[in-house]
Amino acid sequence: MATVQVSEAEKVYVMHGVRDDLRVDGRGCEDYRHMEIETDVVSNTDGSAKVSLGHTDILVGIKAEIGKPRPMVPDEGYLEFFVDCSANATPEFEGRGGEELGVELSNTLYKVFNNRHSLDLRSLCICPGEHCWVLYVDVLLLQCDGNLFDAMSIAIKAALFNTRIPKVHISEDEEGVKEIELSDDPYDCMRLNVENVPCIVTLCKIAHRHVVDATLQEKACSVASLLISVTHKGMVTCVRKLGRGSLDPDSIFEMTETGKRVGKALHAPLMELLQKEESLGKKRQKVGFLA
Amino acid sequence: MPVDTKRVRGPDESQSPLVFLPPTAQTCEVLRRPGDRGKGDVRPLFARCGLVSQAKGSAYIEAGNTKIMCSVYGPRETERKDDTDMKSGRLVCDVRLAPFSCQKRGAWIQGSEERDLSLALSESMQPGVCLHRYPRSQIEVNVMVLENDGGVLAHAVTCASMALADAGIEMYDVVLGCALRQDGDSCLVDPDFSEERGSWQAGYGENQGRVTVALLPNFNQVSGLHADGEMREDTLTAAVRTCMDGCHKLYPVVQQAILRAVKRKAPPPEK
Amino acid sequence: MAAGFKTAEPLEYHRSFLKENCRPDGRELGEFRPTTLNTGSINTADGSALVRIGNTTVICGIKGELAAPSTDAPDKGYIVPNVDLPPLCSSRFRPGPPGEQAQAASQFIADVIDGSQIIKKEDLCIEKSKLCWVLYCDIMCLDYDGNLLDACVVTLLAALRNTQLPTVTINKETDLAEVDIQHKRHLQINKHPVASSFAVFDDTVIIVDPTAEEESLATAIITAVTDEDEQLCAFHKPGGSSLSAEKLQDCITRAVARHREIGRLIDKVIESTKASK
Repeated sequence: MATVQVSEAEKVYVMHGVRDDLRVDGRGCEDYRHMEIETDVVSNTDGSAKVSLGHTDILVGIKAEIGKPRPMVPDEGYLEFFVDCSANATPEFEGRGGEELGVELSNTLYKVFNNRHSLDLRSLCICPGEHCWVLYVDVLLLQCDGNLFDAMSIAIKAALFNTRIPKVHISEDEEGVKEIELSDDPYDCMRLNVENVPCIVTLCKIAHRHVVDATLQEKACSVASLLISVTHKGMVTCVRKLGRGSLDPDSIFEMTETGKRVGKALHAPLMELLQKEESLGKKRQKVGFLA
Repeated sequence: MPVDTKRVRGPDESQSPLVFLPPTAQTCEVLRRPGDRGKGDVRPLFARCGLVSQAKGSAYIEAGNTKIMCSVYGPRETERKDDTDMKSGRLVCDVRLAPFSCQKRGAWIQGSEERDLSLALSESMQPGVCLHRYPRSQIEVNVMVLENDGGVLAHAVTCASMALADAGIEMYDVVLGCALRQDGDSCLVDPDFSEERGSWQAGYGENQGRVTVALLPNFNQVSGLHADGEMREDTLTAAVRTCMDGCHKLYPVVQQAILRAVKRKAPPPEK
Repeated sequence: MAAGFKTAEPLEYHRSFLKENCRPDGRELGEFRPTTLNTGSINTADGSALVRIGNTTVICGIKGELAAPSTDAPDKGYIVPNVDLPPLCSSRFRPGPPGEQAQAASQFIADVIDGSQIIKKEDLCIEKSKLCWVLYCDIMCLDYDGNLLDACVVTLLAALRNTQLPTVTINKETDLAEVDIQHKRHLQINKHPVASSFAVFDDTVIIVDPTAEEESLATAIITAVTDEDEQLCAFHKPGGSSLSAEKLQDCITRAVARHREIGRLIDKVIESTKASK
């Protein structure tokens, strides 16, 4: 992953700052950087969103396709994640360089959504055992400036909110052969309930404290982070220790508590923002990538 | 589609006979454990060091039906020059699930599950190894899962740290792993495969999840933590504590196995 | 001193032993390493076996799956053997796609299966041109100390004898397969091939069951596979120094003797696992 070189003196400076709850860019330990969200940015997807957090830029596109349900869960659809690390983000991703990070990120996403409440997968079922909607969630990293996980999860939640799946009708002829018909009306579509979709909060352990939304510089001062994904009710769906260091059990418990608090607080303003953006309707001026 | 010419190929498509079983045969009861094993008990562990003659160090672990083998090579020169770190060594972990190790036959090519396990293993092992003692070199940890009966990551961690110790790699502490399956208010320590998966209907209940913890027992530091599912924060905290207790239960067995290997390599002088 | 000699002049070191008609590990020229066998240890496989020849350890797991027979052989099933040499078993193997040696070993095992007819592929057919078994025989080396092929053939044979497959029938009405996991049956083993490997030193001296080091110093490697009727079912001599007909005949005679030894071992182990159940 993109890294920056930090001298010993700089490290000490950052650590002392964190100790006094004052970070290099003036934030407190539990503050996020400035965040921008825009949905419906790619017209040929069923749902999309672009999130920038500091200089981290992430684009998420969702495509719904009809597939066959998994044999173990015949009455549910499923999600597929793919994370593409563009060489635009950092030259390290050129060729196959970004593959490792991409697999790591997408595997984490599978774990974050590996429960029955995040998204109602049964609403994606068309015909049990035969057809279901498969949501292909494609994440594109455009720029890396730390805290990819958090930005990615917010972008996915926004894109899922934006997703519109066409309604389908199943008709059966006399011989019992089923036929799937897509609705002609582009406004006749199904929305997903994203209320329970979790957001990831990555806490970076620096000296004896931990910070939220670490920049690359802060990340270089820390040896271990804790990733936790939290729903709006404060349920934890995924935890992972990241990095090459270890953590004290007590600080893990402190960090999960902070993570839960910060994550829970993230959902309400996010939903409000998404709803507000939508209420502007089609007349909304699109900012796109030139912002 | 690219064709794999380096292996003997079978038909393009084949299915496990389990697919054709009537669905009633697939449900399983999670809450009761066979024998007199309680919910908080780890499975009896069989651990042995030094089985692979060619490796610098190796270990084999058997917990219930989970069978894991690990060998360590190195320290040796880094393979890719641009990866060379002047100040500290690299720990290269490779986890493989043998094709016959799971219910469903696996592919020979490393899948994303194996890559995920490799990364998780490497992150869990690194804090325990004195990598600064091996500048410019890499230490290879190869793990082979011969049979997967739950808790693969946890036991791979334990097995890898035994193999590293057997190889004489300097370490701060052994790293021990323990897994747990949370099912509502009850939790099952060191779950087997069916317990780990649970019945899928149970997934709609509250507090369903899996937790794996890697612990440095003498420093009381958690070097790896992986959880998924959906749990309340207090449940999660309790689960982490339970896993830590589980790790401590393994410690004497692991210590003894390492001690036995050391004694065999350098027998104490006879008086 | 001896250790230094061994590292600096490995070939001379071995020659000095061979001159005295013995080998660095204390064996005679015609002596095999102790061979142990364990079957049925992997519960997730339909059949499995683990073989140790000296330090060399090889495990084989067999999984049966269902598929449609190929159109050019509608009454035959498939046997898909693959040998893997993971980086775990020796520092000479790297991660990634199988190397030359693994590919050659896989092909050799496939040839042994075809040449000896261990299992009649017709026996794997469930319903002509509809459904048949695919036997995936995945052989994996866990510790590589020479003589891989011998170990692979023993473990394959033992695992096949250990294999039990559920009974499968095709429902006439629905035309779907029905699997009965309760009633399992063993495979019909048609032939029992056993391989014996030899290494040739300095174009003349023949030793059996070479270790990894002996293999790397030898001028030629020979593997002969014989069955219980003392028939030669496969022979492998990838290049190396030439060998007289008498020497070759001698190798085959020894292979026949080795077959009896291994045959007894497998019988004993299979019997004892049956008895313990």
